[in-house]
Amino acid sequence: MTESVARLPLGPRQGFNASPFWLCALLLLGVAALVINDLTLRLPGTPWLQALWQPDEGDIRQLVVHYSWLPRLCMAALCGATLALAGTVMQQVLRNPLASPTTLGVASGAQLALVVATLWAPGLLLIGREWVAMAGGGAAALLVFSLAWKRGLAPLTLILAGLVVSLYLSALNTSLMLIQQQDMNAVFIWGSGSLSQNSWNGVDFLLPRLGLGLLLLLPLLRPLGLLELDDNGAKSLGVPLQFLRFSSLTLAVFLSACVVSVVGVIGFIGLAAPALVRLLGARTLRARLIWAPTLGALLLCVTDLSIQYLAGSLAELIPTGAATALLGAPLLLWLLPRLQLSGGQPRGESAAAPLRYPRPTLRLLQLGAVLLASLLLALAIGKGLEGWQWQLSDLQLLDWRLPRVTAAAAAGLMLAIAGTLIQRLTGNPMASPEVLGISAGAALGLIAVLFLLPYSGLPAQLALGGLGALLTLLLLLGMSRRSGFAAERVLLIGIAISAFFDALQVIILAGGDPRGQNLLSWLSGSTYFVTAQTAFGVLLCAALLLLAALPCARWLELLPLGDSSAKALGVHLGKSRFYLLLLAALLTAGATLVVGPLSFIGLLAPHLARLLGLTRALPQLLGAALLGATVMVLADWLGRNLLFPIQLPAGLLASLVGGAYFMLCLRKR
Amino acid sequence: MRAWLALCLLLIGCVAQAAPPQRIAVIDWGIAETLLGLGVTPIAVAQTEGYRRWVGTPALPEDVVDLGLRIEPNLELLSQLKPDLILITPQFAASRAQLERIAPVQSLAIYSREAEGYVGAQQVTRELAALLEREAEGEALIERIDARLLQVRQRLSQYPLPAFYIATFLDARHVRLFGKQSLYQGVLDRVGLRNAWQGPTNYWGFTQAGIERLAEQPQAALIYLEPLPPGTAQGLADSALWQRLPMVREQRVYGLPPVWSFNGLLAAERFAGLLEQRLSKEYGHD
Repeated sequence: MTESVARLPLGPRQGFNASPFWLCALLLLGVAALVINDLTLRLPGTPWLQALWQPDEGDIRQLVVHYSWLPRLCMAALCGATLALAGTVMQQVLRNPLASPTTLGVASGAQLALVVATLWAPGLLLIGREWVAMAGGGAAALLVFSLAWKRGLAPLTLILAGLVVSLYLSALNTSLMLIQQQDMNAVFIWGSGSLSQNSWNGVDFLLPRLGLGLLLLLPLLRPLGLLELDDNGAKSLGVPLQFLRFSSLTLAVFLSACVVSVVGVIGFIGLAAPALVRLLGARTLRARLIWAPTLGALLLCVTDLSIQYLAGSLAELIPTGAATALLGAPLLLWLLPRLQLSGGQPRGESAAAPLRYPRPTLRLLQLGAVLLASLLLALAIGKGLEGWQWQLSDLQLLDWRLPRVTAAAAAGLMLAIAGTLIQRLTGNPMASPEVLGISAGAALGLIAVLFLLPYSGLPAQLALGGLGALLTLLLLLGMSRRSGFAAERVLLIGIAISAFFDALQVIILAGGDPRGQNLLSWLSGSTYFVTAQTAFGVLLCAALLLLAALPCARWLELLPLGDSSAKALGVHLGKSRFYLLLLAALLTAGATLVVGPLSFIGLLAPHLARLLGLTRALPQLLGAALLGATVMVLADWLGRNLLFPIQLPAGLLASLVGGAYFMLCLRKR
Repeated sequence: MRAWLALCLLLIGCVAQAAPPQRIAVIDWGIAETLLGLGVTPIAVAQTEGYRRWVGTPALPEDVVDLGLRIEPNLELLSQLKPDLILITPQFAASRAQLERIAPVQSLAIYSREAEGYVGAQQVTRELAALLEREAEGEALIERIDARLLQVRQRLSQYPLPAFYIATFLDARHVRLFGKQSLYQGVLDRVGLRNAWQGPTNYWGFTQAGIERLAEQPQAALIYLEPLPPGTAQGLADSALWQRLPMVREQRVYGLPPVWSFNGLLAAERFAGLLEQRLSKEYGHD
């Protein structure tokens, strides 16, 4: 197989030491060692082959090996290979080394479908969980396609749409889980990817579907290879771009939906295997299509066998899908300095700039008035014992509401500014404070509090959350200094940190510990625990950081023009980036400590400001700040009253309301 | 500020009062259950609908106000209700500071590292009885349930019983196995049954595992608590390993009606009663 790599004209010549062969061989050795060790323990003094293929019906140990252990191993290999294959195709089509089967919203769509079916149509689950999941995943992917359709499924737009849909669906998921946690334990497990098997049904389901996928992929191979060129080059060679992208992505979605529907969400393999293989020297599509599934299968097998080896000594069930992500994040961090990424703008068309509104000051005043009106609404109107009430004179009620409203406004404002900074800094509309991983760092700190000092109050939570944010920030700054804070690298490091955090969160939720629900509530951005002091502190923090951000307007104007233009216009790249990054990190940490790491606002507010015609840096910054505060205040108010007496977290509502609007805008463009 | 002063006065008033608290708000279902067992009806409980669905007995009267989610009981509503005591468990300690602005808060722990679940439940019953000056009712409740468990023990000791896994199904591939620290372990010990799951458990006394773990004790029987999650029965019917487990082949799998696994003494009593009924039906005629 390595020969075919070398013979292809496009591939650079590679010696054995640079090919994925050695890594795969190493992993294969690992699998063999673990298998032998495992079987020795499980079947002392029995012929293995007989147990594996024709178990003695009277010996329960042989039965367990035949109906549970072996199908699980096969399942791990199949799922790893399928996900890696889907990931390779997606990365090729989207021209983005970060694309993965979860990028198109398949996983969150499938999970939402399962949650909804569990709650309201359990009859559907009798037909089969996998079909429900597949329908949900497919629908989510269709939504993503339809959002990006008008732009000819351009890579950048497609990823943006996938991200937005994913965030939106997981916000819906989270709110349902908050309200109906008792029914959701199975969905938590499923969401974290457990490979546990007790019959051959799963393998029987997946194997023919993987075969079908491979068969359908064959005729697409040649045109897909031409996607290495840019759009015009590929078009001039007669490649029907729209059809090619649609059909190959549909195929990849189908493959990932199959896996997701049987074993749940195992996200990282689909991202890591193709990226590793490319890095290890498989440059051509054909080579990657051979090596990535091999590596994916082996990676997942090793992970799963190690987990079974460890699980005996651990009380909680460790879901494999979450564990791959836990192991994968450090791997990604190690990979980053070695990954060759084109700097500056991603390839493909950049988003069309909306028309500039001629009088930005007037627009800002309008936005300010809207913010004031929503503040009044949030403070005065609310549900109580006797239904809806207008009460501005009841000091006791105001005592409860004022800190929450203040904190929501301040947090929204900070996230919006952070989002504007990051989007301008990276020239990437996908960027948001969440991507930096700072909020994930703060969240890790809070998890530590919940589980190590379970009965501590808010001060300890604030302290450890802040420490987590700070450590993440230092890691981020340390790792990106070498590359001069190149935009894409910073984003990648942030994503790796977020992935690590996600995995941990998923493991905790799947462990079924009732404390997980506290975590869930904080993670979805609740202002419930805000006291008057905290609210004042956050407001002060927001005001100071806003003042610190204003002088950066010139940098923000020039940096999106690209490295060379900005340099030519006299911007010191390293210094300006460091300052902006630090500012964005502080803003994110401040907001996260109050309303949790969910930060749709950071993505949304800068976009909204642009759509309203505030295209220059300073008006956009201020407009986004006002919009962010308004949306957050309204979200907090809705969350407190929509399902009274149940209160939904503000961050959750913000992403539900904001996300829907954002999708509409994306579609209209 | 005026409101704040008034609130302070109210708090002082409550503490100074000699009479036991009358208007009690409860955030935890286990505490609510114990409270009802002592003959006291709270004015408000968090997630009343969930209590009625998952705990059921003792029944919660219709006029008890719903406080919303247990992790975030509605503060505005609670302050309008003007309770004179709020009962929580350490699990919901995060909201304690907020709740203390409304009324005195008492935290009661059924589950702790120091005591097993059943002893914890007894302790909580005593603490609660003392708080409400209903010590006699509390001791009576504890004695009644101890006596009931002893009665079950005597009945079950006549039968040749295997070890039992106590489980709830999460889906067709995974179960929660209850062991050390759980309330069920306490009941098993007192009615003289052996738990087949001797492995490690978490803070709440359970572990999550794939159903292949049920094969580790081939002689054991399985007691699971309903309801089965949707699709689970179908999934188990299709599962080759499940069908070949000795306990399934030899029909030693018993489903019991729902019991809320994280509750107090009354849940223990209910579980023991269900055990007695089912096991004497299964093993009594031999």
